[in-house]
Amino acid sequence: MMTEEGHHDVATLTCRDCSRQIDCCEFCDQPDCPVAICFQCIRAALRESLSHPHPHGG
Amino acid sequence: MSPRAAWRLESLGFRHVYDYSAGKLDWLAAGIPTEGTNSAHPRAGDVARRDVPACRLDDRLGDVAARVRDAGWDACVVVNDQSIVLGLLRSRELRGDPHQRIDEAMRPGPSTFRPFVSIQEMARFMREHDLLNSPITTSDGKLVGLLLREDAERVASEIHAEHEGESE
Repeated sequence: MMTEEGHHDVATLTCRDCSRQIDCCEFCDQPDCPVAICFQCIRAALRESLSHPHPHGG
Repeated sequence: MSPRAAWRLESLGFRHVYDYSAGKLDWLAAGIPTEGTNSAHPRAGDVARRDVPACRLDDRLGDVAARVRDAGWDACVVVNDQSIVLGLLRSRELRGDPHQRIDEAMRPGPSTFRPFVSIQEMARFMREHDLLNSPITTSDGKLVGLLLREDAERVASEIHAEHEGESE
């Protein structure tokens, strides 16, 4: 589908955890993933973005 | 370690003590061995296959596909000369036009995961997303290996069986 500006619309997905609109699933990179998840939620789910226990990185 | 712990170690007589300012997650993300209770649990970096075929951006798809097939693989990681992951060729991409350059054929910027991620979590997500393989990299993008779903599910089920046995 074309927009008024002549650009193709990007199919948007919704993150299953936080409902943020995303272009493709951050886990499998698929634009039609039925269980799409955003970057922040997948990092949190896999514990890749744990906050440091101390400000100095301890 | 924290500066406080470093000072404490020095007070106990240790001589070569440093403050690792990047923190524990950075250490884990580099796939360097660890000690302690959690280190006994296999993680994505332990299970990932380190012998995954790799190729460069300016290779030809036909040459790469033949090499990958001969090695018994159906995936290949695209890296630069520093082993930084730039793309991925799964079976679908490998079946493309053999005259294409890799930078035209590859899936650019694939999602990558750190070596310290729990193998049970990776297995669960790979099954849920029907994903056959995932590149594992350090936090600065260097290839550690390719995690295959069959390996992740096998190790996860072994851990599950082990825990079941312990609880009986």
